[in-house]
Amino acid sequence: MAKPILRVENVYKKFKDTEVLKGLSLTVYEGEVVVIIGPSGTGKSTLLRCINRLTEPDSGDIYLEEQKIEPGKSNLSYIRQQIGMVFQDFNLFNHLTALQNVAVGPIKVKKMEKNKAMELAMKELERVGMAEKAGNYPAELSGGQKQRVAIARALAMDPKIMLFDEPTSALDPELIGEVLEVMKDLANAGMTMMVVSHEMGFAREAADRIVFLEDGVVAEMGSPEKIFNNPEKERTREFISKIARLNNGCKDQEVL
Amino acid sequence: MVEHIEYFISIWPELFKGLVVSLQLSAGALLLGLVIGLPMALMRTYGKGIVKALAVAYIELIRGTPMIVQLFLIYYGLPDLGILLDRIPAAIVALGINSSAYQAEYFRGAILSIDEGQGMAAQALGMTKQQAILYIILPQALRLVIPPWSNEVIYMVKYTSVAFLIAVPELMARGKMIISETFKPLETLFWVGVIYIVVLSIIAKIVDLIERKLAIPGFQMIRED
Ligand SMILES: Nc1ncnc2c1ncn2[C@@H]1O[C@H](COP(=O)(O)OP(=O)(O)OP(=O)(O)O)[C@@H](O)[C@H]1O
Ligand SMILES: [Mg+2]
Repeated sequence: MAKPILRVENVYKKFKDTEVLKGLSLTVYEGEVVVIIGPSGTGKSTLLRCINRLTEPDSGDIYLEEQKIEPGKSNLSYIRQQIGMVFQDFNLFNHLTALQNVAVGPIKVKKMEKNKAMELAMKELERVGMAEKAGNYPAELSGGQKQRVAIARALAMDPKIMLFDEPTSALDPELIGEVLEVMKDLANAGMTMMVVSHEMGFAREAADRIVFLEDGVVAEMGSPEKIFNNPEKERTREFISKIARLNNGCKDQEVL
Repeated sequence: MVEHIEYFISIWPELFKGLVVSLQLSAGALLLGLVIGLPMALMRTYGKGIVKALAVAYIELIRGTPMIVQLFLIYYGLPDLGILLDRIPAAIVALGINSSAYQAEYFRGAILSIDEGQGMAAQALGMTKQQAILYIILPQALRLVIPPWSNEVIYMVKYTSVAFLIAVPELMARGKMIISETFKPLETLFWVGVIYIVVLSIIAKIVDLIERKLAIPGFQMIRED
């Protein structure tokens, strides 16, 4: 069995009166691509944010390899460096060029020499097919291009795992493909990934495991074949067919 | 016409001295306002508890009282506490403190207009909150603040004229002195006005150049004109 990279153990989180995560546990192994699906408001984003402590969980433990992730004690900055995060709305730094966006982490956080950081940043931009736009500012990029730069920015920190929070859901349909391609390349290159996404095509092709989150816990998980074709729970089946209908709806629109 | 020009030439040396003082007051007060205003904006935006409360109290107190009261308090009131300031330093301190409250609000507005996602992304990379503010939020906020800040420059140059109330020999005060000698209020004030207009347009041009120089695609800094 491959070694665990990320272990989420019995995590609880509530906002005011709403319990969002209710004792969620999940382990991601080295090189694994885990796709997380689940209804809106079920706590997918909250889970990702709890992992790198952008949100503080109420209880439960999270480990990156053998390091326990906790505020204060462990060096949170050091942990976050090792967890790449890609957001739904890109969150590029608007005053920096694509190249600077990618280089700023290594320079400011890792104290890398500027020239070396720029070289590294260029390499990461090439990896996501954005080298030609290195000098452009975010306002001069399409959504798909922005997201690819955001992926390069996370990669430049040389993370042990990449977290994606609905990386394509803010994109026009015709721009989704280029981002998914980059993510598939990453997966093929052996990156450990945790992806919240309802792109079923991507899940089928790239996922090693699909996790169906509902009501703050893992309701069901398994290989794509099992989850798509032969889920144990009725709720999973319902959800999958709902998503499939939505996806098809989009495709029909695209054709028209 | 010729005699008007001759009159201007005769009073120009005096007015010029006043102009220099006005510009000194403006520069000093703007700088002081910046040095106090930016930390106040940060305290009000990111501070918690007493830190935030202090900043709010300071800003609202200053903005809620007339500038003349502040000026008189500092020039006539502080000596009672054993702090004695000369006219020009007193005027700079009063104008600067007044400006700091407004500048703080310009900065805060600019900081708040930058979406939180960028700060979150910075922290996700491993930056501390302070690094995120310093390297990501502030460089953008400082660009966004240029248009309101340039208005503050213009206001400031005009506001310095209140310093004549404590007999600082700035442009307006020189004008008054000249009037009491020449008994030509209309002509004198006309030329004082012309000097303000010319100087302010030059400043506006310079600020505009700076804005263009610092412009970055995606930042609506260039005002429609
Ligand atoms: N900072 C917050 N303060 C209060 N409530 C929050 C906060 N963040 C999330 N919530 C609530 O927690 C619940 C779960 O939110 P979360 O964003 O994790 O869901 P999600 O599964 O990512 O949904 P979606 O598919 O819509 O992105 C929602 O009801 C949301 O309103
Ligand atoms: Mg979400």
